Amino acid sequence: MSAAGGTIAPDRILHDMADLWVSLGKQGEGDAGVLRACSMTLVVAAEESDDAQAIGETLAALMPEHPSRAIVIRFRSEDQRSLAARVFAQCWMPFGHRQQICCEQIEITASDASLPDLAAVVLPLTVPDLPVILWCRSPRLFLLPAFSQLAAIAQKLVLDSAAFGDPAAALGDLCGAAAAGPLLADLSWTRLTRWRELIAQIFENRAQLANLPLVSNILISHRAVATPTTAYYLAAWLLEGLDKIGAHPRVQFRSDGGEPAWRLSLVELRAQGRPDAIASIALAAGPGAAEVKTGGLVSKALLPALTDYSLMREELAIPGRDPAFERALAAAAKLALS
Amino acid sequence: MSLENPFQDPLRFERRVPECAMVIFGANGDLTKRKLLPALYRLAYERRLDAGFAVLGISRTPMSDDQFREKMLASVKEFLEDSPFDADVWAAFAQGLFYMPGDIDNPAIFPALEARLKEIEAARHTGGNVLFYLSTQPSQYIPIAQGLGAANVGKGAGWRRIVIEKPFGHDLASARKLSDELHSAFEESEVYRIDHYLGKETVQNILAFRFGNGIFEPLWNRRYVNHVQITAAESIGVENRGAYYQEAGALRDMIQNHLSQVLATIAMEPSATFRPTSVRDERSKLLRSIRVMKPDEVLQNTVSGQYGPAHIGGEDVPGFRQEQGVKPDAQTDTYAAITFFVDNWRWAGVPFYLRSGKRLPKRVTEIAIQFNAAPLAIFNGGETTTAPNLLILRIQPEEGISLKFLSKRPGPGMKLRPVSMDFNYGSSFGERSPSAYETLLLDVIIGDATLYTRQDMVEASWAVVDAIQHVWDETSFDFPNYASGTWGPKASDDMLARRGHVWRQP
Repeated sequence: MSAAGGTIAPDRILHDMADLWVSLGKQGEGDAGVLRACSMTLVVAAEESDDAQAIGETLAALMPEHPSRAIVIRFRSEDQRSLAARVFAQCWMPFGHRQQICCEQIEITASDASLPDLAAVVLPLTVPDLPVILWCRSPRLFLLPAFSQLAAIAQKLVLDSAAFGDPAAALGDLCGAAAAGPLLADLSWTRLTRWRELIAQIFENRAQLANLPLVSNILISHRAVATPTTAYYLAAWLLEGLDKIGAHPRVQFRSDGGEPAWRLSLVELRAQGRPDAIASIALAAGPGAAEVKTGGLVSKALLPALTDYSLMREELAIPGRDPAFERALAAAAKLALS
Repeated sequence: MSLENPFQDPLRFERRVPECAMVIFGANGDLTKRKLLPALYRLAYERRLDAGFAVLGISRTPMSDDQFREKMLASVKEFLEDSPFDADVWAAFAQGLFYMPGDIDNPAIFPALEARLKEIEAARHTGGNVLFYLSTQPSQYIPIAQGLGAANVGKGAGWRRIVIEKPFGHDLASARKLSDELHSAFEESEVYRIDHYLGKETVQNILAFRFGNGIFEPLWNRRYVNHVQITAAESIGVENRGAYYQEAGALRDMIQNHLSQVLATIAMEPSATFRPTSVRDERSKLLRSIRVMKPDEVLQNTVSGQYGPAHIGGEDVPGFRQEQGVKPDAQTDTYAAITFFVDNWRWAGVPFYLRSGKRLPKRVTEIAIQFNAAPLAIFNGGETTTAPNLLILRIQPEEGISLKFLSKRPGPGMKLRPVSMDFNYGSSFGERSPSAYETLLLDVIIGDATLYTRQDMVEASWAVVDAIQHVWDETSFDFPNYASGTWGPKASDDMLARRGHVWRQP
């Protein structure tokens, strides 16, 4: 549905959605009814060049756990104002092909120039009484001056600092956004969860925990030429934890080269004068596997594949504040600029 | 001041798991092979265990550590459900598996166990924390507890906990004796009586459903609930457990423990906090509120059944008395249906119907809460609807929740029809639910006893069950009284019919 003159009316979209549900209901008459499920409005802001199919697949995968009204806005870099929209549904059958569950999806195409108009279009399309999450897949859009109006309708803004060109600048920009707008999430922080959890688990052992105040050096190896935001986040988080117990180690970043740039390959905690690391986690040769060494014991941990789906799934499960991330972001930005 | 781990992030990380060694008595048995080791491996796979986590298996069979590892590897591969097997994760996990052959009846085994635990503690940094898991015949619980106590095994820097499987005694007196003996070596807070039903996701979800939502709890009482049905049906017979089952029966095997606990979870008062003591106090209080039947009430409010032979799906299936190891005149109940009443302000007068049986038409466990009908029937020409509002909590095989209500049929007129709103646990959350043993093993390692049964709970449910069992023991039943593949004896339907109710067909 696209109105003449490149405008769209939210009422018209809502009407089309109502028609869609009637049509789905007719298809599912008899035993096979249709259930409508919704726990939030998920707005996705993406470039027109972004892989539409991949976004669709990610949303489809997220729907069973986070049923949402999805509004996908695809932007093209164009000075003329233009907007168009269509509605459709994502359905799945969890009950042995007896009953469908459906979530609605709205796709809007917009030019950059129409960005200031979008908040007024999107706001009436959000589901009442439920949170609005905005997933911005493009740093370019995030940095457009009018983006803040769109961001203001969301309770949480999800970004990925790995997509930004300059990691240090990205952390600064995110700090600014965190201070000004909605709650913020960075998928580069989300990528660290399993690493952080492995580190935390090591020090649940009291024998290992007793060594923690001795840590004098932290080594973080990564693939990128420039230190990625993931490495800054991890360093900031480790330093904060160690500071609590009175340890103030030196941090060293090392580039091993390779792809993807954000991926870490090693984190090592060492004590002055000790030949072996107190703890180390290194990516193993196998896919998604890490080797954990501590106290003379070596174990292997499987790290789940990090996809847009797995990262968003984790973030959507945290609708409120994430104090650990907020502290890490502020500290990582300082570290990157120091 | 003890050092706290500064790296915890409860918002994103799973629960904290401390270091420990687990001693499994009966390490060559079925439970170890089918449930415990697959669950432990799965926890390792999910990165939930400490890197130094160790298992020391004990049984009579002579075996080396490596032979034990090989045997457990085969078991894990065979019984690992819904999970991939990773050779590298296994290799690291198996480094922590150890074995010690020994006979419980030989007192020398306990000092030897102590010495072996010391070695493991030094090599694996288990911090002196020891979990004893009694995966043995119940008759060995007391000798093991006495042996551990006498030899002071595992008493050191860390904690000690002991897990025992049901049955916790065979009546109130034996349950008390068992507890007394356990307490000679362990504090009650160190005793974890496992009831795997409480580890099931949907049973835990009952608490979330009731106390996490504001809309259901106001309806959860005698004013709105007509009655409650709890069904635990198995389609199989006693298989190779005939000899054990002959002494136990459905009342002792299922009602006294699993279903009583489910009943307590459904009917308990909200606890002030979700701390183990608080939740268990409320469960215990509820169990103590179940009316103990007088002898003359028992036959009116209970039904004992035993399956007979039948021809099902083109196959002849034996009756209970034809099963291996079962006496031809056994009076064992393979089916039990009970009408319980909970004597408190919330539930006074509301029947709780519990039934459990073997060789029923299908394997299903569910709770059905039937609400009172609307006070006035204004639709369907004033006819009272035959489809009451039902809330169904499915525990197995497909965990989920359904709410049945009436809706207007599309078209002219006001014809109502029942519709169902379903929530399917697995597909809704799109991820694998942990097995009950994974949940409960993790809980005991963490020291969370919320889902474990406490002595006073065991005694309260035995007090209720003993009153029934004594009458049944003195009654000569005309068994078999239901054919395999049916929903049990007709007397069971009659029991509900006396109060105007009918069993739901799950």
